[in-house]
Amino acid sequence: MKKTDPLPHPPKAALRFLAWFCPPELHEGIEGDLRETFEQDLQKTADNPRGSDDYRISRARRRFVWNVIKFFRPGIFLRNKFSISLIPTIMIKNYFKVASRNIWKRKLYSTINVFGLSIGMSFCILIYLFIRDEHSFDLFHVHKDRIYRIESVNYSQEKASKGETPYHYSSVQAPLAPILKDELPAVECATRISKESGIVQYGNKVFNEQFTCVDADFFRMFSFHLLAGNPDKIFQTAQEVVITPAIAEKYFGQENPLGETISIQGETESSFTVTGIIQAPPGNSSLDFSILLPLQSQESLKRNSDNWGGFRYATFVQLREDANLQHFRENLDRIVQEHMADRIALWKANFKPPADVKIFQYRATPLPDIYFKNEVRGSSDRVSDPQYSWILGGIAILILVVACINYISLALTSSAGRSAEVGIRKVVGAYRKQLIAQFSLESILLAVISMVIGMALTMFFLPSFDEFTGKTIRFNTSWLPVCGFALGLAIVIGILAGSYPALYLSRFRPALILKGKSALRVKAGFTKPLVVLQFALSFFLVISAVIMMRQMHFIADKDLGYNSDMILVIPTQAWNEEEAVRTADQLQAALQRESAVLSTTRTNNSFNRGRSVYAAERYLVDPYYLETLGLEIIQGRNFDVNNPADKKKTAIVNESLVKAMEWEDPLGQYIDSSRVIGVVRDYHYRSLEHPVDPMMLTMETSEYEIPRYILVKIQKTDVPTTIDRIKSIWTTIAPNKPFEYSFIDQDVAMQYQSYQRWTKIITFSTIFAILIASLGLFGLTGINTTNRTKEIGIRKAFGASLMHIFIMINKPYIRFAVIAFIVAVPFSYYMMNEWLANFQFKVALSWPLFAGSMMIGLLVALLTVSYHGIKAALVNPADTLKYE
Amino acid sequence: MNKAYLGEFEELVLTMVCILQEEAYGNAIVNEIEERLGRQVNLSAVHVTLYRLEDKGYVKSHMGGATQARGGRRKRIFTVTSAGVALLRALKEARIELWRLVPQLNY
Repeated sequence: MKKTDPLPHPPKAALRFLAWFCPPELHEGIEGDLRETFEQDLQKTADNPRGSDDYRISRARRRFVWNVIKFFRPGIFLRNKFSISLIPTIMIKNYFKVASRNIWKRKLYSTINVFGLSIGMSFCILIYLFIRDEHSFDLFHVHKDRIYRIESVNYSQEKASKGETPYHYSSVQAPLAPILKDELPAVECATRISKESGIVQYGNKVFNEQFTCVDADFFRMFSFHLLAGNPDKIFQTAQEVVITPAIAEKYFGQENPLGETISIQGETESSFTVTGIIQAPPGNSSLDFSILLPLQSQESLKRNSDNWGGFRYATFVQLREDANLQHFRENLDRIVQEHMADRIALWKANFKPPADVKIFQYRATPLPDIYFKNEVRGSSDRVSDPQYSWILGGIAILILVVACINYISLALTSSAGRSAEVGIRKVVGAYRKQLIAQFSLESILLAVISMVIGMALTMFFLPSFDEFTGKTIRFNTSWLPVCGFALGLAIVIGILAGSYPALYLSRFRPALILKGKSALRVKAGFTKPLVVLQFALSFFLVISAVIMMRQMHFIADKDLGYNSDMILVIPTQAWNEEEAVRTADQLQAALQRESAVLSTTRTNNSFNRGRSVYAAERYLVDPYYLETLGLEIIQGRNFDVNNPADKKKTAIVNESLVKAMEWEDPLGQYIDSSRVIGVVRDYHYRSLEHPVDPMMLTMETSEYEIPRYILVKIQKTDVPTTIDRIKSIWTTIAPNKPFEYSFIDQDVAMQYQSYQRWTKIITFSTIFAILIASLGLFGLTGINTTNRTKEIGIRKAFGASLMHIFIMINKPYIRFAVIAFIVAVPFSYYMMNEWLANFQFKVALSWPLFAGSMMIGLLVALLTVSYHGIKAALVNPADTLKYE
Repeated sequence: MNKAYLGEFEELVLTMVCILQEEAYGNAIVNEIEERLGRQVNLSAVHVTLYRLEDKGYVKSHMGGATQARGGRRKRIFTVTSAGVALLRALKEARIELWRLVPQLNY
């Protein structure tokens, strides 16, 4: 069939492709040459007797395609780009020149823009660093893909009835880890991790320390770098300890710690030999430790080693490379069946879960995921709330938007000044595309300048940002992607902020502009909604900041029901009943002889201290407790020092408990088999996030309720001397134990630390947002009044008063502010309601709060606008009108 | 970069333009080089080189007359400019000058 075709054609697709990329003025010549080659190829192969016609044609066509592809090279198609998009490279230099002249000429506006954009960008870079750090957590472990944390999920009737997810704990029973390792071939290594604390002593150095107890596999699984010691031999005996360089320095100074023996006093006292130095975990590790002990050295493990009822050990397993995860998970279920059958039967009988719900199961979470599992209770040392990233990112974008609006509205309002330039450029032959490119280039240039300043600001802010987020982000580590991010951001911002002004300016009709100067007044209606948006964003921040600050004041000023002034909290550093009671007795006896000490008391739980602060409803105290804290007995009596009967089976309860028990006459009633002898007025023994739950005070010590803290009320004068005195008393009573103290009000304030930080960051961002927005507003009114100079002159000539002009200029902005306020209120109301839901005791979201915030915002806006208003109103009309 | 610099391939193409006179277009140059030097060169490379020479001002181009061949597409004919001729001559003389400095031994 092909033989009938007199002239075989080159492939159409290749021709189209050539036409697409080839510059039009070159196209004909190139296509002609290609066709000629094609014809030659046909000719050449036709002389070859072996080739069939079909073969030679397809061969020539193949060669044609290949030749076309070889033309697809920068030397050809880049000519295309430059000629088609009509941005002669020659002009770029001119654009830069004009852009830099403009930036320089309008210094005020450029400063406003650069100020806003650089702060917005620096916020964005910080958030970028933050998010990057968040997502780098635990990724440094070599075996990260094979390590899983075993968690336990418990069905709870109460939670299920509310539709919540069941209890999810990061800790499991002690026997699980050894069983997993022994019974499942897929498990290569397994370690349990438990946090303990105790007194560490070496020579005369005594400190209270947290330590981490692990199994020997810990060193094989995790990639924490061992600086000294043999990872395969460590923790083969129970009396070894591995420490970080910081701890080594603290106890041993310049000495070599290896082989030294330290004494650690927790549940029991024993000595440990240092067999390894381990590098401190990096900032992006969710496991944190400074002293590692073998778990088998702990008495508690011996007690629990066969206990399937106690959930206190975080357990990690490392699977073999060829392990099947699905299979492993099924095996976990099998282990539940094997070892916990009787418990599960019991639970099922008690809680009666729906048939399709497992009452208990293990769950395996990959190591890289545990950092974000903040819903898992008792989680690892560092967990994150992904919410933080969202909120911080939101704030950064908010500030950036405010800054971008500045740029857009200033560019639009001052566009009159550029219209002549646009007109001339168009007349001498500029295309609209060129003008758009020019103005975009200008905004990108400004954004890049802002970026450089923003990077500097980032470096400046980074230490305080680290402090706020509790991270250790350093700029010097891999700053290249940061610069890349910043540059990308600058270009995106430049295009976003520049696109509308560019489109707007390039639309000018040269004939209209150049006809006469009267056509200079151009209206950009789009500015108004932008300004309203800017106002609304600022109001949103102002309202949030005001409410947060009010709540913080509320917390600080709230009457907590006790007097926390000048009360020292001293831990007794004792872990058994007999020793704690003895220390407390001796210390209190000695302290009461001091003139500066007003009163002392003992307790098992101080405010925001002690392990069980959230669950504790039973407080161990002594008769001086009420007096020391200034608590008020409203019914009955205090414990009597001279009545030994009060030491057992008696209790003072709080009002909430009376209410909860619905007692008419609480005195003489029994709670927890103790007789109630008095009722104390409710006081906030926990933070204001919680209601005042029922609680009772007793004097009865037990194995679990021992005097852990001595509260000492001291005189206000000469506090350091008093503390020194107390310290010397402590040293005589407990010479080998560290002396620690804090003040109750500090402890209480600590509870609100994270709220304080958020309040700070919101206030900080609000100040910046307001500053940027009002600078923008300042520039905007400046341009607007300049545009209206003549109008104002004429009005004045006709007798308008100064006040009249002033009001005329301010009125639109007040209207903007009111609209913006109405937009902002619902959003901030919603957000703040969410935030305040954390507290049981909180300020009411009342109208005065919103109105107050609005007044602040309006005042700032009016102050900014008024400068130009007054300036314009004061000008002598003769000056503005004399050239007409 | 020195303005009068020419690459080896550029010089070759420029010389071919001089040789071919009125028939100097892309495909003819490819064929000429193959015929005279036995060297296979790429059509697109020749084109790019011709445009570059044009940018540098050593050749200029115009569209030739329409023909029946080539699918009716016209040829882009290149002609050497006086700057191009001067450059080629300067290059040749410089080379001869250098050649003279080579000791004339009996190789």
